Amino acid sequence: MKKVGRIISISELNVKVFLYTNDIKLNDILVYEDEKMKHKFEVIEVEDNLASCIPFDSVNGLKKGIELELQEGGFQIQYSDEILGKVFNSYGDLIDNNTIEKEVKKNVYSRRLTLEELDISGKILWTGIKVIDFFAPIQKGYKMGLLGGAGVGKTVLIKEIINNVYKKQNSNAVFIGIGERSREGKELYDEMEKDELLDKISMVFGQMGESPCSRAKAVYSGLTLAEYLRDEKEQDVLLFIDNIYRFVQAMSEISTELKRVPIENGYPTTMLSDITEVEERINSTNKGSITSFQAIYIPADDITDEAVQTVLTHLDGQIVLDRKIAEKGLHPAINVFKSSSKSIDPEVIGKRHYELVETALKYFSRYNELEQIIAVLGIDELSDEDKNIFYRSRKLRNYFSQPMFVARDYTGLEGKMVDINDLLNDVSDILEGKYDDVDEEQFLYRGSLNEEK
Amino acid sequence: MSTYIDNLLNDKIKKIKEENNIFDTGVVIKIKDYIVEVSGLENVSFFEKVTILGKGIGYVNAIYENTVGVAIVRETRPIKIGDEVSASGELFKAIFSEDALGRIIDLFGEDKLTGKYFKNFKYIDIERKIVPIMDRTAVNRPLCTGIAGIDLIYPIGKGQRQLIIGDKKTGKTQIALDAIVNQRSLSLQNKEEIICIYIAVGKTKKEIKTIYNELLKRGALSYTLLVVATNDDKPPVQSLIPYVGLSIAEEYMMHQKKDVLVVIDDLKKHAEIYREISLISNKSPGREAYPSDIFYYHSRLLEKGCQHKNGGSITILPIVETKGGDITDYISTNIISITDGQIVLSEKQFARGQKPAIDYSVSVSRLGGAVQTEDIKKLGANIRRKLLTYLETKDVYELANVDEMSSDLKTKLALGKKIEEALTQPKFSPMSQEEILVRFKAIGGENIL
Repeated sequence: MKKVGRIISISELNVKVFLYTNDIKLNDILVYEDEKMKHKFEVIEVEDNLASCIPFDSVNGLKKGIELELQEGGFQIQYSDEILGKVFNSYGDLIDNNTIEKEVKKNVYSRRLTLEELDISGKILWTGIKVIDFFAPIQKGYKMGLLGGAGVGKTVLIKEIINNVYKKQNSNAVFIGIGERSREGKELYDEMEKDELLDKISMVFGQMGESPCSRAKAVYSGLTLAEYLRDEKEQDVLLFIDNIYRFVQAMSEISTELKRVPIENGYPTTMLSDITEVEERINSTNKGSITSFQAIYIPADDITDEAVQTVLTHLDGQIVLDRKIAEKGLHPAINVFKSSSKSIDPEVIGKRHYELVETALKYFSRYNELEQIIAVLGIDELSDEDKNIFYRSRKLRNYFSQPMFVARDYTGLEGKMVDINDLLNDVSDILEGKYDDVDEEQFLYRGSLNEEK
Repeated sequence: MSTYIDNLLNDKIKKIKEENNIFDTGVVIKIKDYIVEVSGLENVSFFEKVTILGKGIGYVNAIYENTVGVAIVRETRPIKIGDEVSASGELFKAIFSEDALGRIIDLFGEDKLTGKYFKNFKYIDIERKIVPIMDRTAVNRPLCTGIAGIDLIYPIGKGQRQLIIGDKKTGKTQIALDAIVNQRSLSLQNKEEIICIYIAVGKTKKEIKTIYNELLKRGALSYTLLVVATNDDKPPVQSLIPYVGLSIAEEYMMHQKKDVLVVIDDLKKHAEIYREISLISNKSPGREAYPSDIFYYHSRLLEKGCQHKNGGSITILPIVETKGGDITDYISTNIISITDGQIVLSEKQFARGQKPAIDYSVSVSRLGGAVQTEDIKKLGANIRRKLLTYLETKDVYELANVDEMSSDLKTKLALGKKIEEALTQPKFSPMSQEEILVRFKAIGGENIL
């Protein structure tokens, strides 16, 4: 292959190349192969006949004067049905010892969606999970923040959503791991395999032990896979990004090495446009939709952090998992006060649903106050109205627990999906006192109240 | 501009070619503390070892258009402008010797206790590629520390990264030492051998000697080595030492399929040293003046902890020192978001005499029950729930009149107090799993299970 340039300077994340040709543009991939491995570099700045490139891997051992070739097609990833059940690294290479039979590749920097293509009339995507459908219904094409520390059931919830949506819509999912623990990535893979969900999903990992370039690029590769499912298979795709903050973090590492002027807290100058570029690709067209769940890390516990705030402006709602609820043994452990969705609007979910949500929240907040009072005074001191609120809230709280298909091995209970109409009827019945004489234990871990437990 | 650079470059290459065979030497032209700039050295590779003739050694940490940046790791005589520098043709590596068990070593392969060098050694990469995601398996074997508050409530598994965090003088290092010493009785019982590596970053010589003596006294040195960079070593050495320690751990895990326990004492100091080097090398400062890649500097280090599919594992206990009990500062939250949990030590508990001074309400093990045996898991979940409710209610009702409390609440508080007392444990007095089961089952009688 033709040599297009040679290396003239090297730092950890920035390799400068003297170009022999004018034919090099941004995002081109330059390659050098030695006995051990293929070194790849992506062009991110060009000035006259000098190109600044970021290396995909460690630069240890590289020398000045090394000559580079241009990779055909640039930065690509597989673009066919063969992506399902596979695990890729950020650069589109398989890492799970699988093979691809017929290579059909596509560049990961896709075109922008036009206003015309964009479809925002997304219907509600009922997950069959009571607490989500009731308090934070997800519309097709929505971007939900998924917050909550580890160990409170994030993975189980992700798996249940994948399972249910696949059952209901026959849609596949894409998981992008960015800058998170490798251990967790592997555990997700193992559990998917165990629950036979693996062939419904494709995964991309650029985890925290890998170079900033890998962490910055994982999202582009993953999005291309999701776009394949949306545009070619015409599906309503689920996209999980864990964790979107790490993408911004990786961009700042790269930006620093390029000696670009940083903004607040060392974030890159281009942070706003970088995030927008990614978030704007996560949208729905008349062919299909991409509904995304994005975990967001909050650095130094500072919610006002510039990067966190910038990501939040793109989201349509959030689901917050709470350790305190998990400790009470109620799963999914969703904090209904902190979770929200733009679709809680009478025009979207209907007046009845909207009003029920309002009443339920009113009950729950009064319940929290009552709990404190009871701890000191005992329940007998309460007024009849408060007693009703107290008991009904407990029943409602228990009702929102739900057996999950993917947690069958732990709980021994068969999973349940609940239709939205049954759900609304049940909630309304509980609040109106229809079940006042039924013991609260009866409401734990069941589907709708009509069906036999 | 670029044509100018190119001309300069071509000119230089031409000159060097004419003079033949001096590719690998250069001359010091700028000295900034321990970072020097060298002209010449046209053919060195990134991270190559170079020698400042007769004066010291360093490694290439940047290759510029006309010069090369070198970080000095050892300086025997003062370096001056014009000193000759020669390349070695190989990457800067650390030295590993199997004879180093029980000794205090540095990255040059020197036995710090005798000042001698190991005869039987090999060169190892300071940083290797991390273990790929698909070569890892689930962390599910317990690593017993002998401390009830950890083994029972916030357990550690083989391959887990568990942070120990707290203020000065709250017993952070002690927990790590307890964990190391406890491996001795375990290996005597089950014959399962574990290698322990204590990595000291920027500690004083006195501190290191004290730790060595503690381990010696308790017979832990037959399976432990100390990899150290003292506070008067060159900053580049201090910043590399955790990588060297982990590389040695990988040597044991990959080639001998061993379980390795690594303690890094401590990462806050490590972050500060890295900040210093970065600022001196003109990297632009980010949050709290740390460089932007400070997260990556720690994440790629701690990601070396894993359960490998070959059966071996690396468990890492990094230590972070905080100020004023604040665990929400930048470096602490970074590391918390990398590790699989944290044991938080509080000055308040320490002063009260509750040792180990673990703050149970903010400590976490993200793996929890997955790394415990069945009975311990059942008991642990129960004790943890009871203890946490106690800690939560205790503060609220501290001022309340006991007589007005419901009897339910009274029993809850009494039980919590008993648990708290049972968790108190002096240093170097490990409890076996059976002892823990017996002690905590006894507290609540039947209702605890």
